[in-house]
Amino acid sequence: MRFKGQSLAGALALTVFGALPALAVTDVKIWHMEQPPHRVQRVQELIDAFNAANPDIKVSQEPQSWGEVYAKVPAAMAAGNAPDILFAIPDFTTVIRKAGQLDSVADFVKELDEKHHFIPATVEPYSYDGGVWAVPLYNMSLNFWYHKKAFADAGIAVPTTWSEWKAAAEKLSKDGVVGVGLPANKQLYTDQTTYAVMVNNGASELFNADGTLRFDNPKTVESYAFYKDLYKFSSPDAANWTWGEAEACFASETCASILQFSVISTYDQQGGGDAADLGVAAVPHADGEKSSSTIAYSNAAIILAKDAAKRDAAKKFIAFLLEPENYGKFLNMEPGLFLPVTADGAKSTTFWSDPLVVKYKPQVEQMIANSHAGMLFGFTGGHVFPAIGPISAQNILAETLQKVVINGEDPAAAVKAGQAQMIEATK
Amino acid sequence: MASKPNSSGRSDDRRIAVLLLALPLGLLAATLIVPMISAINISLRDIRVIGSDGPFAGFDNYARVLTDGTFWHALGISVVWVVGNAVVQTILALTAALVLNEKFPGVRVARVWIILTWIIPTVVVVIIWRWLLSPSGGMVNPLLIQLGIIDRPMGFFASGPAAMTSLILINSWRWFPFVAIMLLAGLQRIPNDIYEAAAVDGAGAVARFRAITWPLLQPTLLVLTVMGTLLSFNVFDIIWLLTAGGPAGGTETLPVLIYETAFKAYRMGDAAAMSVVASVLMIGLALVLLDRLAPKETGR
Repeated sequence: MRFKGQSLAGALALTVFGALPALAVTDVKIWHMEQPPHRVQRVQELIDAFNAANPDIKVSQEPQSWGEVYAKVPAAMAAGNAPDILFAIPDFTTVIRKAGQLDSVADFVKELDEKHHFIPATVEPYSYDGGVWAVPLYNMSLNFWYHKKAFADAGIAVPTTWSEWKAAAEKLSKDGVVGVGLPANKQLYTDQTTYAVMVNNGASELFNADGTLRFDNPKTVESYAFYKDLYKFSSPDAANWTWGEAEACFASETCASILQFSVISTYDQQGGGDAADLGVAAVPHADGEKSSSTIAYSNAAIILAKDAAKRDAAKKFIAFLLEPENYGKFLNMEPGLFLPVTADGAKSTTFWSDPLVVKYKPQVEQMIANSHAGMLFGFTGGHVFPAIGPISAQNILAETLQKVVINGEDPAAAVKAGQAQMIEATK
Repeated sequence: MASKPNSSGRSDDRRIAVLLLALPLGLLAATLIVPMISAINISLRDIRVIGSDGPFAGFDNYARVLTDGTFWHALGISVVWVVGNAVVQTILALTAALVLNEKFPGVRVARVWIILTWIIPTVVVVIIWRWLLSPSGGMVNPLLIQLGIIDRPMGFFASGPAAMTSLILINSWRWFPFVAIMLLAGLQRIPNDIYEAAAVDGAGAVARFRAITWPLLQPTLLVLTVMGTLLSFNVFDIIWLLTAGGPAGGTETLPVLIYETAFKAYRMGDAAAMSVVASVLMIGLALVLLDRLAPKETGR
């Protein structure tokens, strides 16, 4: 009888003490689009460190694909299965904001800003309609990557203008090598490379100040015509490319140059890793322009959680990521690709001491310099045009490009049709 | 002598039959009819993002979809896709089935071996073929260059026609073994006596095929034609993973357009209207095929 009583007491104690911690744990689910295994692993290391320091919170990650996430998040929100934290880019944020009730994180961003000092340009694309809709996490900008030896052997200087760029691509395209790897897929990467060409011809504005579209203008047409000229020197399968194929082409030296955010990891692991031979420069500009620009993204975290405890836990995790010691490790999930959005993050010792950053320091410094001239479609001239969401979701910039380079349509007609498509998309 | 079942026994049998049918019919209703009614409901509303609500729009979505060239373009691409697959798969499958119907050493192994492509998951098929066809590092381009067929690497997905041809061949490569096995089953049901009698009458191989094999395979071919048409029309995964409907809409079949309209253009109402129209077209096509291709009953 006594044994039975002790057993019962033991069972009760186990139930109470075993269950209490489980009841108190707040689960936070993160969706991000950083799918390569080494990035997932780095995010997991940070999650593990956070979870160990915060036993009352359990953060978990579910990597997603950029190709599917525009469809998946609204569906998940409708099904009540949305993540608590969603990594996003500015145009995607406008889509999410339209699909669901987002709560402003202005106070939280202000609190973080006082501590870490955000670069203002990284917060601006998320600040509109009286709120701040996401917390900036990292910046990235598109660059012109090239094999120095290939250029030196051909006696070509790094191009700074379009005419030099085209001449270089033509001269380098021989013996199975393509002069410049440019995509023409109906996908985000092609949106990015197309816009990177447009901004270097004074066609950065898709909208007038009053929100009406101005995509259909002579500068845009010239940009598409130039892309078409350059595409002749790209890979035969570039109509199917996303970022990975371009990097593989560059690492295998089949591509003498490409437009890409960063190639450092792939180049180091698969392309020989000779830092002295890896060149990076600003995207060449049109002959009539004075300087180069590029496309730059401030990536951010949206807090989708509605539950107060989950929101607090999500904020705690984001604040943890932005602590300089953790932030350097976070940015270096892909060394050189992700650039700091905070002043103290830019000085983080964990960022600059990463072996790959040390090895490719000149390239990383050049990327940071290039990012200063970054722009993003729909978020230019101090304006935010939320109508960019559906335009970006449907990859209309890329679709217009396909009409020009694959179907051989006249650039002026394709751009005109593209503007009509944009108007329809934003209705 | 078996006893004749009485009327109460027949009644019990009927009850059991109804009970046994209730479960699958209930499941069908839940998984097919309910979503179809839901799709029709959405198609009559101006719903943009999935899960959101929208006002009643009558037949506006249908009018917009049916007057938009994109829908008809995608339907045309779907027809090319379905016919292309039907032709290529029938030729490959019939050839394979006729070979596998013969007696030769290793035929049993060959019959198992052939279904391997069919059981490989789509994602693996896509990875294999993307790699094989890649101009940088793939195996097919160097082979074609060595054979003197091309002089420089070509992009198998670089233009609409090239991408559609590549897709049809890859999809056929995957599915023809299934069709071949079905045809083989049909071939093995043809009594050998008929062939022997024809041979005695002096009929050659071609004559035997035309007079015996082809007519007696018709029931199997009918089932395969109806099933294959419907299955091919609805294929989404391999197209989406290999070309996502590109380049420049060159492989944008109706299912791909419906997906893009629903989840990229955020026009759920339009996508539902397209789905309803596509369903009606498919049901109509299936009825026509069954009516036209089914062997006609002869009067006794």
